[in-house]
Amino acid sequence: MVIVLSIMFNRNFPLFNSFGGFYPQSIDTRRPAGTGYTSKVRVRDKYHIVGFISSGTYGRVYKALAKDGRRGEFAIKKFKPEKEGEVIQYTGLSQSAIREMSLCSELDHPNVVQLAEIILEDKCIFMVFEYTDHDLLQIIHHHTTPQRHAISAPMVRSILFQLLNGLYYLHTNWVLHRDLKPANILVTSSGAIRIGDLGLARLFYKPLNSLFSGDKVVVTIWYRAPELLMGSRHYTPAVDLWAVGCIFAELLSLRPIFKGEEAKMDSKKTVPFQRNQMMRIIEIMGMPRKETWPGLVSMPEYSQLQSLALSRASSGHHFSRPPSLESWYTNCLKNGGYSSTSNIGTPGAEGLDLLSRLLEYDPTKRITAQEALEHPYFKEGGPVSADCFQGLEGRYPHRRVTQDDGDIRSGSLPGTKRSGLPDDSLLGRAAKRLKE
Amino acid sequence: MAANYWASTQRRHWLFTREKLAEVRDKQREKDMVAHTQFPLPDQRMLNIYFSQQLTKLGKKTSTRQQALATAQIYIKRFYTKNEIRHTNPYLVLATAFYLACKMEECPQHIRLVVGEARSLWPDFIAPDVSKVGECEFFLISEMSSQMIVHHPYRTLTELQRELALTSDEVALAWSVINDHYLTDLPLLHAPHVIAVMAIIVAVVFKPSQAGFHGSAAPALAGAMRDGGVNMLTALNDKNGGGPPPRVQKLIGWLAESEVDIHAVVECTQELVSLYEVWEQYSEKNCKELLSRMVRTQRLDK
Repeated sequence: MVIVLSIMFNRNFPLFNSFGGFYPQSIDTRRPAGTGYTSKVRVRDKYHIVGFISSGTYGRVYKALAKDGRRGEFAIKKFKPEKEGEVIQYTGLSQSAIREMSLCSELDHPNVVQLAEIILEDKCIFMVFEYTDHDLLQIIHHHTTPQRHAISAPMVRSILFQLLNGLYYLHTNWVLHRDLKPANILVTSSGAIRIGDLGLARLFYKPLNSLFSGDKVVVTIWYRAPELLMGSRHYTPAVDLWAVGCIFAELLSLRPIFKGEEAKMDSKKTVPFQRNQMMRIIEIMGMPRKETWPGLVSMPEYSQLQSLALSRASSGHHFSRPPSLESWYTNCLKNGGYSSTSNIGTPGAEGLDLLSRLLEYDPTKRITAQEALEHPYFKEGGPVSADCFQGLEGRYPHRRVTQDDGDIRSGSLPGTKRSGLPDDSLLGRAAKRLKE
Repeated sequence: MAANYWASTQRRHWLFTREKLAEVRDKQREKDMVAHTQFPLPDQRMLNIYFSQQLTKLGKKTSTRQQALATAQIYIKRFYTKNEIRHTNPYLVLATAFYLACKMEECPQHIRLVVGEARSLWPDFIAPDVSKVGECEFFLISEMSSQMIVHHPYRTLTELQRELALTSDEVALAWSVINDHYLTDLPLLHAPHVIAVMAIIVAVVFKPSQAGFHGSAAPALAGAMRDGGVNMLTALNDKNGGGPPPRVQKLIGWLAESEVDIHAVVECTQELVSLYEVWEQYSEKNCKELLSRMVRTQRLDK
């Protein structure tokens, strides 16, 4: 055995270089047959796992420190391997993982999450990101407990500006995020916004297949743009801007503005019309009309919308005050105690104008990230800080990190997929449906 | 990044000078001189032709678009700058690069389907077990440092089509010239827009008489370029020359105003000419046999 090994090393043939079976199996007793790939880098050699942050359908996220003296903290996202029975097998990576890995490796912007490295080890993917202390969901939550207290107007403005700035970068690089929501907007301890979770993001430059055929359902329901709810086959960066509008509203009111209930897919995996979600939007924005949104009538779910309109009319909704974003906004500012006298203390009329342009029904008229950055809301009332915490006295609590699962390699993983979110295995079925 | 080639990982990490590329390959050879003597392989371009033809077969069976095949070819090239081919099962690498490229180009194929089709094409070299491709995928991604977004010249060609008023014949020929450039080292040596400009020039200057190209431009171009290549290169370099026809003149004018590196374009053209020369000696049988022997003797297929 010694001889054989020395031949191997003389030939300078690294162990990881075989696709398995190159060595007679009797020699290589340390590894089971058929495991040819071995990572050159091992997660546990490079990182010290401090604790467990969260788990999702994709896998788990851990907080870590580098062992090689690199400063700062890291968040390691471990994609769960697929199990076949008890044995973990290589089954091919999900398209979502491939997208996130390739995009994160390519992107580089101060308002987009920073990737340190990707380690492929033991049939798992470990994406190592910079650690962020906060995210918008957590910040909003902090403002509602123990009692509600509004997020300061300059902070909202800084968050929104940085978010749009990151989004502008993504869109100019032909990347659609497709899953913007408070939980995915990360905030560093120095108040920088980083758009995170590119698991649903994809390139949209001249796609080989229509975007719809790849992923039938995108964006968490509360942040989903009306054209998606209406079943649009082709969508654009405007879907991300609608989500920004929802986030803007949520930062001001501390509640999701359109908190609908999701209709689940039926057993045939056909995508249902999200009636309740559409209702929530209509309650504030009013009925979408073909006069202001000409594309509306050609939307697949147009008939559903008409039936919804009829039932609303018959249930007496027309007697009540007509819905308007303005009254929602006025109410929201009043409840939040935003100053009505000082310019700095309130998002003011400019904030309403920007919000209404973000929550524009017609995606072709909706404001773009670039236009939004030029909006008077950011131009007036002094410079926008690159630190959203600037001038704040209190500090936000740090992300909760638990100790219950220190072993990054062995933790058992939840077995469900992201609910209601795309499953690329549906692709074939979706394509078939389109043909029919 | 994705829209910006200049900031891309392709330009930052996967663009080599000729010297650097030769050095990288020498390093691979030095790793295993024995295998190099024991398992001679044809010229790299011959292998590329063989790989490309095999990929095309796989692509046909799964109705996969050319761009995904092009991406797969880039992955194979990148992978073999980091790994000695004689230590791998190239058929497995091919199938895996194809599988990965389809996902990256948003036209995914199920791993079982890819393995099934690959097995029907190369039954002796692909195991029925999908985990081999799954494992090789890890290897590919790791060696490419997850840098999987590829910029192709097709896009520049499409963008310049209107600006240069190209006819559909010219576009078709330029397109197939781009297909052919994947058979050379050019994708590792030049920016995609340089390749696209080269393809356009070749298409406009050597407007071929016969219509209908399928895949490669070699048959239509090889002779014409060999005979006329020198003239074209002179014309490109001599901006005041009164020789070329107005259409070519116009293109040369556009080139001069654009910031495209003309020397690089000329170099690419020469590379293509030399590819078409090598191609005449191509033997599928020879490639197949040498690869088979290499894989089987070393039991790389197990």
